[in-house]
Amino acid sequence: MKYLYVYPEKCTGCRECSIACSLTKFGECNPKKAAITIVRDEFYRYEFPIVCFQCEDPVCLKFCHQNAYHVIDGIVIRDEDKCIGCRLCATLCPYNAVTSIDDEIIKCDLCNGDPKCVKYCSTGAIQYLDETKELEKRRKDMAEKFLEINKS
Amino acid sequence: MFSGKLGIIDLSKKKVNLTQTPESLKKLYFGGRGLNSYYLYNYIKPDIDPFSPENVLIFGTGFLTGTLVPNSSRFNVSAKSPETGILGDSNCGGYFAAEMRYAGFDRLVIKGKAKKPSYLYLTDNKIEIMDARDYWGLDTTDIQQALRNDLGHVEVACCGIAGENLVRFACVRTGVKNAAGRCGLGAVMGSKHLKAIAVRGTQGIQIKYPEEMLETVEQLKDYIMNSKITSILGSVGTPLLYEVSNTLGAIRTKNSQLNAWSERLNAEEIEKHVEKMISCSSCIVHCRHRNMLGGEGPEYTAVGLLGANLGIEDPAEVIELNNVCNELGLDISSSGTILAWAFELYEKGIIDNSLTGEELCFGDFQLAKKLLHKISRREGFGNILAESTKNIARFGEKSKDYLIAVKGLPQSDPHDCRYIKAFALGIATSSRGADHLRSRPTLEIFLKLPKEVKEKIYGKGIPNDPTSYISKEKTIYFSDNIFAVIDSLGVCKFICHGFNSPHFVDYTWMKKLVHCASAWDVSEKELEEVGKRVIDIERMFNNREGISRKDDTLPKRYFDEPMPLNLSKGHHIDRKEFDKLLTRYYKLRDWTNDGQVKKERVKELEAFT
Repeated sequence: MKYLYVYPEKCTGCRECSIACSLTKFGECNPKKAAITIVRDEFYRYEFPIVCFQCEDPVCLKFCHQNAYHVIDGIVIRDEDKCIGCRLCATLCPYNAVTSIDDEIIKCDLCNGDPKCVKYCSTGAIQYLDETKELEKRRKDMAEKFLEINKS
Repeated sequence: MFSGKLGIIDLSKKKVNLTQTPESLKKLYFGGRGLNSYYLYNYIKPDIDPFSPENVLIFGTGFLTGTLVPNSSRFNVSAKSPETGILGDSNCGGYFAAEMRYAGFDRLVIKGKAKKPSYLYLTDNKIEIMDARDYWGLDTTDIQQALRNDLGHVEVACCGIAGENLVRFACVRTGVKNAAGRCGLGAVMGSKHLKAIAVRGTQGIQIKYPEEMLETVEQLKDYIMNSKITSILGSVGTPLLYEVSNTLGAIRTKNSQLNAWSERLNAEEIEKHVEKMISCSSCIVHCRHRNMLGGEGPEYTAVGLLGANLGIEDPAEVIELNNVCNELGLDISSSGTILAWAFELYEKGIIDNSLTGEELCFGDFQLAKKLLHKISRREGFGNILAESTKNIARFGEKSKDYLIAVKGLPQSDPHDCRYIKAFALGIATSSRGADHLRSRPTLEIFLKLPKEVKEKIYGKGIPNDPTSYISKEKTIYFSDNIFAVIDSLGVCKFICHGFNSPHFVDYTWMKKLVHCASAWDVSEKELEEVGKRVIDIERMFNNREGISRKDDTLPKRYFDEPMPLNLSKGHHIDRKEFDKLLTRYYKLRDWTNDGQVKKERVKELEAFT
């Protein structure tokens, strides 16, 4: 199974990933209307891509009253027809990886196996890789690191 | 909407008017620098004082700014320049311009003068004039952080204390080091009591053909990423140019008394102080250094002008001076040139202690740092230096012979232009004074580039010898035009055909990008016409302010003193050859022999409104 892996040390903050995502999904260039978000602050000196980790036990799915979320082939998919736009998933996601803007809920679906964010990244800061033990460990390290930041 | 709004703000009357630039006008000038220059010509009356409320300050995003198009982060800030008294215009990257478009704005035209310190707050389709009294007096990082504390994650363009104090070379800054650096536009902000513009937008830019844009950009990205120059720029940034120029013997050193300097400032040395390379919005090149001394940079300009030109060779000292300029909101190019000028004048006894209040000498880092602070606060001798090139009047006619400036603008390029003749013509004719980012045909530096490659770009008959005057008018004509177009599209020059590479974004690529964004069909020829139009209207602005052939000249030293060191030893600019080159350039531009835009053309461009 392939998933997204992020390497913040390689991220330059340009947001081509987010813009490509919004252009693909909505036909517009808008880094805030994307399933991937680059959190950046040049004064605090960081750039950090936030992606959906496609959790094995996803909070978005667990708490959705409408059962709009399903795991299909390891990917957490939101069913737009069932979704009532309550934004609970966006509020509860521990990684803030579900975006809510303009009455839209945006959840990464890995672009049917061809994630645009990866394609338009020029530094390899986001990669779409087969799940291996090593990468899996890295993914979890990253998630824990992020949760720590989130707490503070 | 693909097209955003034009916000017209009158600070005197505290009025905001939202309107739109007509599509017909956009087709003539696109946006960015092009439309800014159009509005400057039409909104500014001749002979006004740049510090008066009559001056008009424009923030204009490019036609493609904020889109998926690589390196589309740019905007231009324009006004009548307080440093030169002619067209003032400066191009800038960062995140501000994209955010302006996400808030629904293409351009802001700012008139008048606020009674008290103010800032503009832009949110989706809305502009508010806000009280900035609490922010007045803050350095550029402090104000940006304060605004983020108070408003959330806004992008900010601001002036520093140099701008507040009307230093004639104060810059407009956004982020840690991105600057609309040239022409003193930060001082125009100060003169209007405008400390900052903060913007936060959530709207997207609607793209006419999203699929086509995704495909075109994918191809363009591969094309650019496969170039060697991209990976070099992305790993060491512009300082790589220092070594190239230095080996040639063309690094302005100690106010151009010398033409080569220490290898300690080579890119590999600078790199030791760099933590990470980062990008502007949409940028795939990432040439920005996050340095370990708390700032960003240095660029090649800082390495040359705050290093070699001041006789400083410690990279850490150069980086610190770079960071100081950025915090105070001073243009690095003018700062390094004006300080070096004063140092030489002092050495030569043209100015003395009675004026400076202390001994001036090259190589004194502490002195340079202290003077930058004094300039920004207009204290003591700093108050004099803050007047930039206008000091010829105070320092005496003789001082002019040592000033490295054209049309009152200190030269930005650390490159000594006595060797490469095309560079010399470029800085002599650039619409804002001695500046390399208007027309520098960098390819002239690459001595081994085959003749065919140059001829393909610039036209037949271009000799491979950079010291030859033959046909060099063609290289400047080509570069000036295409750079004006890329500045109007809001795309960084670093990926422009003929700037750093013989490849990259040429008119054909531009045509495709414009089409997928807007559905406009424009030909390569029409795009070139846009460039010519921009150059002509800028010249019309300058002609109206009295600029003519007599002003398209070079620092005296470039004509009369042969270069002393390295490969370029013995080279200088021959007055007669230069004059002939200028004549050929005017002919190619279809200007009069006196460097005026012809009456018919003025009439033609004035008819478009």
